[in-house]
Amino acid sequence: MSRTDPATRRALREAMPPLPRLLPAVLAGIASGGSAVALLAASAWLITRAAEQPPILFLSLGIVGVRAFALSRAVFRYLERLAGHDAAFRQLAAVRAGVYERMLPVAPDGVPATRGGELLARFVGDVDELQNLALRVVQPVVSALVVLVAAVTGIAFLAPGAAAGLALVLVAGIGLALLAQHRAGARADRELAPLRGRLQQAVVEHLRTRELLVAYGAADADLDRIDGFARELGRVSRARAVAAGAVAAAVAAMGGIGAAVAIWLAAPVLSSGGIDGPTLAILALVPLAVAEVAAAIPPAAAAWRVARSAAERVALAVPAEVPPELPVPAVAPRALPDRGAAPRLELRGVHADWPGATGHDRPNALPAVDLDLGPGERLLVRGPSGSGKTTLAHVLVRFLEYGGSYRVDGVEARELDAHRLRDRIGLVEQRPWLFDESIRQNLIFARDTASDAELEEVVERVGLGGWMRERGGLDAPVGERGALVSGGQAHRIALARAMLADFDVLVLDEPTASVDRARADALLAELLDAASGRSVVLISHTPVAAGLVDRELVLG
Amino acid sequence: MKPLDPRLIRRSGAARGFLAAGGAVALVQAVAVIGFAYGLARIVTDLVSGVPLTELGWAMLLLVGCVLVRALAAWVWEWSGAAGAVRVKAELRRAVLESVDRGAGEPGGTGRLATLLGPGLDALDDYFGRYLPQLVLTVVAMPILLVAVWLADPLSGLILVIVLPLLPIFMALIGLATKQVQQRQWEGLQQLSTAFLEIVGGLSTLVVFNRAERQLGRIRRATDAYRGKTMRVLRVTFLSGFVLEFGASLSIALVAVSIGLRLVSGEMGLFAGLFVLVLAPEVFLPLRNVGAAFHASTEGLEASGEALDRIEAGERADASAVRAATMQASATSGADGGAALRLERFAALRDGRAVAAPVDLELAPGEVVALVGPSGAGKSSLIAALLGFAEADGEAWVDGVPAGPAARPRAAWAGQQPLLRAGTVASNIRLGSERAPEALLEEAIAELAVGLDPAHLVGPEGVGLSGGQQQRVAVARAWHRVRAEGLRLLILDEPSSALDADHEARLAAAVRRLADDGTAVLVASHRPALVAAADRTVELREAARVAH
Repeated sequence: MSRTDPATRRALREAMPPLPRLLPAVLAGIASGGSAVALLAASAWLITRAAEQPPILFLSLGIVGVRAFALSRAVFRYLERLAGHDAAFRQLAAVRAGVYERMLPVAPDGVPATRGGELLARFVGDVDELQNLALRVVQPVVSALVVLVAAVTGIAFLAPGAAAGLALVLVAGIGLALLAQHRAGARADRELAPLRGRLQQAVVEHLRTRELLVAYGAADADLDRIDGFARELGRVSRARAVAAGAVAAAVAAMGGIGAAVAIWLAAPVLSSGGIDGPTLAILALVPLAVAEVAAAIPPAAAAWRVARSAAERVALAVPAEVPPELPVPAVAPRALPDRGAAPRLELRGVHADWPGATGHDRPNALPAVDLDLGPGERLLVRGPSGSGKTTLAHVLVRFLEYGGSYRVDGVEARELDAHRLRDRIGLVEQRPWLFDESIRQNLIFARDTASDAELEEVVERVGLGGWMRERGGLDAPVGERGALVSGGQAHRIALARAMLADFDVLVLDEPTASVDRARADALLAELLDAASGRSVVLISHTPVAAGLVDRELVLG
Repeated sequence: MKPLDPRLIRRSGAARGFLAAGGAVALVQAVAVIGFAYGLARIVTDLVSGVPLTELGWAMLLLVGCVLVRALAAWVWEWSGAAGAVRVKAELRRAVLESVDRGAGEPGGTGRLATLLGPGLDALDDYFGRYLPQLVLTVVAMPILLVAVWLADPLSGLILVIVLPLLPIFMALIGLATKQVQQRQWEGLQQLSTAFLEIVGGLSTLVVFNRAERQLGRIRRATDAYRGKTMRVLRVTFLSGFVLEFGASLSIALVAVSIGLRLVSGEMGLFAGLFVLVLAPEVFLPLRNVGAAFHASTEGLEASGEALDRIEAGERADASAVRAATMQASATSGADGGAALRLERFAALRDGRAVAAPVDLELAPGEVVALVGPSGAGKSSLIAALLGFAEADGEAWVDGVPAGPAARPRAAWAGQQPLLRAGTVASNIRLGSERAPEALLEEAIAELAVGLDPAHLVGPEGVGLSGGQQQRVAVARAWHRVRAEGLRLLILDEPSSALDADHEARLAAAVRRLADDGTAVLVASHRPALVAAADRTVELREAARVAH
């Protein structure tokens, strides 16, 4: 069950809060579970002893105990939940920071999750899932085990045989539940997820092509097809429920069977005078409370599966070593001579590839290219999708390592500090990321010293002045992932950001991808006009109007 | 929040079935719990009074039997919860999709609908698996157990009857008192919780600007702020759980102590005391579990509620559409003049206003007419209105049938988007006419110069095919439909926008041949070559210019 690779183990280890922080929750959990057991034990003793009609004084201890344990069970449970969540959240900060720190040497191109979309949401979800390791796995299991061992030990002092019997029932019950749970969980991973994906895909396709289906009279047939997928999913979920039901049944039976076994083993001791009546009542009733404590273990095992596969994916998503396709920091970086003008770029036989690309068919790989860009020049890089245009852009800003020679003002780029290179050469990505904040916040990090006037001026230059004023100025929000702005506006904001940073060379990756063809040339002309005075590498999969660029390089 | 949506019971046979079966299981489970308590109390009482275990075989059998029945009930709950959820989800999914297909109500975004029908409805798994069973047990089993306690010892019964209703009341009070605080806190939480996602998603941007390293501190600060705020919310949220736990254990303590005191004075017997002691926690168990599964209930109810809202909105729209259709039918009966398409001052509406100037047009079989006009003039809207995908003003007949949903079986249509589906070239072309002969498929592929093998695989959204290939498959699909169903009207919307000159010419020729066989063709296009190939041209003009 636990053949875990070292990277996953490390991710799991980092997710564990240090002992002092974990301890309060564990102790509260032990106190709460212990109180539950003690409450039933004290009640059983109290009632059976009372039936012997002793002077009431002899019962007062039992009465106090019953009341105290009733109170402490609820109070400690509340404290356990609070302390557990607090520890988990505290650890979350460390987990996130730790993962981020490991991402930095390979960022951005070594971490596919940074490319956004589903992958990003899943990665972040996985990182956050790790906090559940302590909260839902370690802490409940440790608390439950301590209470179980203590309860069985306590019973062993009264009647060793009954204790052994109860222990056996607990081990068998928990073992059976875990086994069934493993089957159910494995089944869910293996079969349920793909079926669910297929059903969802069919629903999405139905919605997307709804007018077509309706117009062609094929909608009902497609709904029948979707129902077929749903039925198959139902069949597998029911099969999984058979195993999950076994978990529930084992947990439900544990207490009663434990009680029966304890009675059966303790009855001879009672008749031989080894124990008294009230003790027998304790032995008969305590298994019920103990089983309730033990019921926490199967869900913890399920949570363990979830946390472990999250840790596996996190470990996989962030490579431990820098792959050969990514740049490593220069050992003794050389300084870039500042000639007061944009640097001259010379590429000779430069080729590059993405990390993780395998096999013969390597889409997006950059074949050997030669390229020259003098100060102030505008170069169009054109080619069909998959020809390596974005790869070239990422080589230029040193996101990707390259083969061949790439010189910046005569200095090999490999020997430069990548940060200093990026002070001069900037990239506006195909899908620029806008942070869910104001326009100001989306600009200011490019140059933190910029005044409002400077920010407004640069927004004006990319043609968004009117738009910005309409929305209330620099403090207008752009929405989650730029939801409140159009694709063209996002590119303009990204360009404004790049101008603020004052790069000498600007690499624009498909700035018109999200704009229709008719408006593309106009937007391009405006963008290039705004960037006047800088060298520009413009990447596009379609030709652009003549006169906008000086030269053209065709890939693929 | 309502614990159960009455509409779900009214509409879903599967939900009714689950509840009925659940009620029966709850009944059996309650009896088993009582039997178990009886057996346990009997055995302990008799053993203490000196009866040997050998004489208590029947009680032991009862005890173990009841345990097994109870385990079986737990197993049935799990199974029927999973099965019920699957069936209810399938029912709701189909009903929502049918309502969307009828075009009733607002479709409101494919993404949102897909989320509702996928992960949204999946919340019903927990609703049926965890929440409803406990709710049924609370309603069915709890009263039975309470009666059993009452019969054995009225005073204990009274204590439970007093405490039980207090718990939900206290929980509701806590909920009310803290609702505002919670709401305020949650709003701030949303932004803090996405802080890490924002930084990871924006990482390449941050690297471009050499700002990636600085985010480490920001991640720690944002996560710590997130923790602080969340903990303030949780301290309050967990209070209701505390009330449940506290109420449950407190009443057990009250019952135990009161029984103990009465036993000492000889007012009651040990058997009744033990019986009540074992039963008392069981009375509270379903209620405690309902509280624990409360989260599952809200998510499930939200999803099923939204689905039911859509279904009902669709039915209301259907009802009014039927009325409108009957009125229209009575107004236009007998207006058929043998034309394949006839428009009389027909205009598509958007938000109740005409998109373009009204058009008069009569299209005879064998004619090819080009619909032209500047981009945005409403060519696609006009076509959508003909097929009932948009509102319209004026009158139109497609092959003698009033324009709208009823006209769909009378026309073949290829829209501006190719709308290919995952499968093969053949499965796309034969859509809706799967029984047509194989030869017709081959002919469609040859006629429209599709240039792909029928078995060629097509990915979702046409992935794997170039734009031109997708367009040719889409037009071949419409062509195939005309021939397979013997239709008299073909409507093409910008069918050559992704084609080169050669393929465009072959498309024009294919359209001409089809027309010569007696089909009328309406083709919206702004490509000169295609427009020139038509018999005549109809121009759409903007609505405002001809308003007077």
